[in-house]
Amino acid sequence: MSSPFDQVLIGSDIELSDDSELSLLETLDHVLNRGLVIAGEITIAVADIDLIFVGLNVLVSSVETANEVLRERERRGIAAVSPVKQPADQ
Amino acid sequence: MSGSEQTKLHPNSDQSIAGVGYYVYCISDAARASQIVESGSPVPIEDGATLELIERKHLSAVVSRVPLSSYGEEPLAELLTDGAWTAVRAMRHEHVVEFFSKRTSVVPLRFGTIYLDRSGVEQMLNEKSGQLTEIIHRLEGREEWGVNVYCDRTLLLENITSVSPRLRQMTEEAKQASPGQSYLMQKKIEVLRADEAKAEIARAADEIENQLRSVSDDSVRLRILKVESTENGELKAKFAFLVSKSNFENFRNAAEGLARNLGTSGIKIELTGPWPAYNFATA
Repeated sequence: MSSPFDQVLIGSDIELSDDSELSLLETLDHVLNRGLVIAGEITIAVADIDLIFVGLNVLVSSVETANEVLRERERRGIAAVSPVKQPADQ
Repeated sequence: MSGSEQTKLHPNSDQSIAGVGYYVYCISDAARASQIVESGSPVPIEDGATLELIERKHLSAVVSRVPLSSYGEEPLAELLTDGAWTAVRAMRHEHVVEFFSKRTSVVPLRFGTIYLDRSGVEQMLNEKSGQLTEIIHRLEGREEWGVNVYCDRTLLLENITSVSPRLRQMTEEAKQASPGQSYLMQKKIEVLRADEAKAEIARAADEIENQLRSVSDDSVRLRILKVESTENGELKAKFAFLVSKSNFENFRNAAEGLARNLGTSGIKIELTGPWPAYNFATA
């Protein structure tokens, strides 16, 4: 069945494709920018996280960093989200 | 170099000198959490540690010990400027949260919540048990799905010119005008096209939000931190939806319908997930 989506990212059971940079950025966005903030003894300030994320966005766009992170993920067998190319609907 | 093996005060210090902290990933029902860890345990944020459950008031915090030589306030701030270090830790955080969220309802915490001792975590569970329990109940059986809206500007502008009677008329008039007039009219047409494109993107984003809201339990429009140009075009809007697992087919069908209708006019939709409910873990 063809899908009008260019990419559908679905968790687990899916092999990494070479377009995983996108899912990496999505994951960083979720983990660093979202999630309940509970004041711990050390909790990263929200303003700092914005800066870190924007910085990461640039860093992660470098293929080297992305590859390093992905190798790490594979090594650990992390069932992280990864994109699936759907057949083009045209 | 990640710098994780360095500390300023004690170059050769081990954890016993620098101390340990408790890194918290997520919170779930205590009984469910202890069942889940019997089935296996994902790798924590730092090697050499194991996941632990800290239990209070029927709730469990999923934690692991981290060296304060890296996770203390100052060293952490510095390590976070290292993109590779942070990205790897963020992936591990996500991995742990996903491991639990695939099996039970969890409150995912934001990256970097660290307590200096166990009793700090216990106290937090005691104090916030009402709020945390409420969130866990609300998220039960539900997942977060992300929707990104992109714009293919060339396609959108072409489409707008072809469907707007006013733009079509102006384009015709410009062709027949004198060179000087034609130039001015072209300028006007460009401005009008840009305005209509902006309006069309806003209208499409509202349509996507409204339609998907009707097949989900909650929704939030997220801010875009940075203009991202991807192979899909420019990111124009970003949403998160909380969707019942039992209703996912309806949600997906609605999203595919929208993608089909809007795709021809240069608006692209991307669906990501399922995510732990990071965007809906609020009181």
